[in-house]
Amino acid sequence: MVSTSSRVWRRTQQMTLSLPVQAGLLIGLCMLVLWTFYFSTYPPAHDTVHKTRHHTLMVACH
Amino acid sequence: MKSIKYLGFFLAATVSATVWLCALSGASQTAIQLQTDPPLNQVIPATAPTQLTLQAVDSNQTPLANANIQLRLLTPAKSPWFTSDFPIVEGTTLLELESAAPSGKLQFEQTLPIRGTYRAEVRVTPQLAGAFEPFEQVISFAIPENPVKYRNLAILAVILLLVGLGGGWVLGGNQSPQAGEIAPQPARMLLSGVTVLAIVVLLTINMSAELAESHAGNPMFPTAPATPTVQQAQNVQVQLAGATESTVGQLATQTVKITDAATDEPLPDVAVKLQVVGLEDNKPVFNFIGQSNQTGELTWQQQLFDGAPHQVTATVAPIAGSPRQFSPIRVAHRVEVEGIAPPLYIRFISLVYFTAFFTASLIAGIVLRRHWLQQSGSA
Repeated sequence: MVSTSSRVWRRTQQMTLSLPVQAGLLIGLCMLVLWTFYFSTYPPAHDTVHKTRHHTLMVACH
Repeated sequence: MKSIKYLGFFLAATVSATVWLCALSGASQTAIQLQTDPPLNQVIPATAPTQLTLQAVDSNQTPLANANIQLRLLTPAKSPWFTSDFPIVEGTTLLELESAAPSGKLQFEQTLPIRGTYRAEVRVTPQLAGAFEPFEQVISFAIPENPVKYRNLAILAVILLLVGLGGGWVLGGNQSPQAGEIAPQPARMLLSGVTVLAIVVLLTINMSAELAESHAGNPMFPTAPATPTVQQAQNVQVQLAGATESTVGQLATQTVKITDAATDEPLPDVAVKLQVVGLEDNKPVFNFIGQSNQTGELTWQQQLFDGAPHQVTATVAPIAGSPRQFSPIRVAHRVEVEGIAPPLYIRFISLVYFTAFFTASLIAGIVLRRHWLQQSGSA
């Protein structure tokens, strides 16, 4: 039982620290920051960076 | 030798005849000439109004007198793969305007909202039937993108490149945890770094939202000085009627009506100065001086491309030499403009571009680090 749980823990640890997962997490976080800054319609986010959005190429606003 | 001489003469005669025929066919052509101030290559979208002058001329390039000019100004076509900052405005009508043009000229100032190729569909008709043949012409003109946008995109690209290369450099290193470590030190450093970045971004946004809330006592957009929509002075009544609510992407119709206050008769050929100001930045977006028509009205349709309140003002005055003289009368009203959020798919396309660039930088960072490790290992 102990060996099974430790094996699962080790596999989880290996998977989490694997290069694709770490790179994926970093890309996901980057996407989230980019979305919040440039594309979110959430009013506080939009109003804060409204001018920056209008002054950046390929960023759509309203 | 003689045959060559005849051939030369024949060719010269043919060329002369062709030129003459071309000139003759052009002689029957009336046309519209477009001039802008500033020149088209110096126009910066969505900043200040551009003066557009449409001049109707005959075959001798002489202005056509006593014309009526109808204009429909269309915005550049939709470009979801390379969106502008106003995607809702793309592929719509910006302005519809009709005015008497005693000297064949229609001149107005309009802020052009986005880069790209605009289409002006112009129809010219004579005020007196038969004075000249009515004609239509489509004029296309292009304006460049705001250079600031390229600079800001370059800044963003550099940030994404540096973060991507740095992240790739860390991830590309030796990732086996040391004894007693749950994760290798570089991975922990990277995760801590991006967590701090996420905290800073979210904190900035929420702090800004709080500061905006604390200023909520002030109106978000200043209220223009109160000017009535109906004014009456010296037996002249001026009324500004039309949409007080509008939506980005759609036309709003406005009408200025001038009547004799005593008899309610329409007053034609009265000068009307129109001004539309965006109240978000207090910037003019449209200026035009026209005349009331035979029903005492001046009507135009306009798209207010910025989703913020606008002030429409009309100042009415008699034209020079008119028998009825009166002091200028001013009417105005506020138009609330509803902004439309850009479609989700357009925002996703741009997000994919940015993320792809970041991913490429990340991969480059990993490859560079591995290459460096291999070289230092073999050395």
